[in-house]
Amino acid sequence: MSEDQLAVFLGSGLRLAMPIILAGMGELVSQRAGVLNLSLDGMMLTAAFAAAWASWVTGSPVIGVLVGVMACLIVAFFQAILSVTLRANQLVVGIGFNILALGATTFLYREIFGPLSRDTIPGFAKLHIPGLSEIPVIGPALFQQTGLAYIGLIMVVVTWAMLKYTSFGLAVRAVGEDPRAADKAGINVKLIRYLGVLYAGTLAGLGGAFMSIADSNTFTEGMTRGAGYLAITAVIFGGWAPWKTLGACLLFGFATALQFLAPAMNLNIPVASLLMLPYVLALFAIAGFVGKGRQPSGLTLAFERGR
Amino acid sequence: MTNKSALWSEGNTPFSFKFHLPMKVIVPVLATVVALLLGVALIACTDSSVSEAIEAFWDGMVGSEYNIGASINRSISLGLVGLGFIFANRANLTNVGGEGQIAIGGMLATAMALHGAGNLPFGLAFILPMLAGTLGGALWGGLAGALKSWRGINEVISTLLLTFIALPLVYWSVESVHLLRKPMTQVSALPESMIIPDATKLPMLFPSNPMSPLHIGLILAVIAVIAVGIVLSRTPFGLKLRAVGLNQMASRRAGMRSGFLVVLAMAIAGGFGGLAGAIMIQGQQYYLTSDFSSGYGFDGLVVGLLSRGSAWGVVVGALLFGFLRSGSIAMEIMAHVPAAVVLISQGLIVIAIAGSAIFMDRKAS
Repeated sequence: MSEDQLAVFLGSGLRLAMPIILAGMGELVSQRAGVLNLSLDGMMLTAAFAAAWASWVTGSPVIGVLVGVMACLIVAFFQAILSVTLRANQLVVGIGFNILALGATTFLYREIFGPLSRDTIPGFAKLHIPGLSEIPVIGPALFQQTGLAYIGLIMVVVTWAMLKYTSFGLAVRAVGEDPRAADKAGINVKLIRYLGVLYAGTLAGLGGAFMSIADSNTFTEGMTRGAGYLAITAVIFGGWAPWKTLGACLLFGFATALQFLAPAMNLNIPVASLLMLPYVLALFAIAGFVGKGRQPSGLTLAFERGR
Repeated sequence: MTNKSALWSEGNTPFSFKFHLPMKVIVPVLATVVALLLGVALIACTDSSVSEAIEAFWDGMVGSEYNIGASINRSISLGLVGLGFIFANRANLTNVGGEGQIAIGGMLATAMALHGAGNLPFGLAFILPMLAGTLGGALWGGLAGALKSWRGINEVISTLLLTFIALPLVYWSVESVHLLRKPMTQVSALPESMIIPDATKLPMLFPSNPMSPLHIGLILAVIAVIAVGIVLSRTPFGLKLRAVGLNQMASRRAGMRSGFLVVLAMAIAGGFGGLAGAIMIQGQQYYLTSDFSSGYGFDGLVVGLLSRGSAWGVVVGALLFGFLRSGSIAMEIMAHVPAAVVLISQGLIVIAIAGSAIFMDRKAS
């Protein structure tokens, strides 16, 4: 492998991992608070579309990101109402939202852009960080990404620090482990869970927006292709710990990037085997063959005072 | 979930209505009607004419003898997946992997039909591929069950992952000439398998009527509905499943092999999915393409959810979604209204039913 190929591989691996990292960090907080958002894929798709649309209309990718996050927060809010207040089955609600998001974004895309639109959408230019981007291999791979990618990496640190060192983080962990005890200790369980889901919505919004306006500069129907499910799996793979989750996201990103590396290196590997590689890895991971964390014991369990 | 009928059949309510409908019937029906009305409202927002769209929709569903038959054929696959769903759900397992189970079933049925089953006598030619498909689906579902009972993996996650593994596998099989891909005549040909031999196709239900696409899958589906209904409600096995679903620890203490029952329930659910896949290939499509399962698994899941655990509910849901799908395809082709409208309605139905579960259960207990 030449130096250039390695740089491209590292760079595209990080780029492909970024939406999963963003969504995964949000999902981590939500799951630590006890809500498994299976709707993550639908949230990302919603954000990808809303961001693309707003950026296309206004010509400003920044407004695109904001609108994408707002749209995602609306979905997250409904997810929270259903799974926290109405105590609906979190997994079933998630699947419903994923179907709805796929239908709604496909419908709106065709109505607004036309079925086979080739319009490019104003997106973010890559930032070349002075000095650092001159380093061979690592420079072009890591320090020539879009601004949103750096925000993604910052959010990993923010999420980790928040869970570990803030009172909000403590409350999240308490609610996810034992909602009843947390309630007795005076923590507003439902509020914390709402905030956890909304945090996941915000980051999934950034992740979805990254896909459409920072990575591909276009929207395609069903463009997340299961990235949300990968993010959920990354949280489980990472044993509900921030840095391990980041590692899992990177692994998935690089596994996906192999699809582009293999043909470039004339490796005769079937595309299908690379397509399923992240999911096979994830399956092995959750089956516990690569170490296993303990899930928050209140995960997916609805909480109601006095029941 | 227990004894829903007690409240209103004993007449202990102050009002006496002539027709008592349980909440578990009212809510899904109401959700479906509202979601469909919303779908119509969405069509009204597009450039296409509503009457034209509805006309195309109606025509696609029941416009001709052929369309009716095709809709019922769709319902058969959806119903089988739905039956699998309620089977696993009786043990409190949520099988969302119907799509992958269909894919594996269809792939193995095609492989069996193309390599070996074609010349077998006594109907074995079409029965063996169906069995292969069923076993493949059972393996795919059973794997999730095994992960659940031995490693404690949530079956929702594992069945989803297995779906994302199954779909590329099918793509692989039709893309590789060493596997199922038909020998290429031109480079641009889409990857697909050869057409399966005539003897391996499902026999038609009305062979004398060339206009009717109905195949004997219908009989199989009817038998499956009755069998599942009886097994779940009237056999010790059904009771055991429910016990394991309610409390695994307690049922183990009562001497049940709860881990094995979980694997078995998931395998049976997967087997229904695999059979649905085999029937889709052998009954109508006759060759394998990489995306032949296109959403049937997820539609079947919705059917299972709608039915609230009743085999008759599955029949109603499957017919509804089978006809809806036919209608939406016709609507897209003839009236240029995106079929995604139906997807939106389906998503709303699932969310509405999940969200109202709290009210349904409150009325019941």
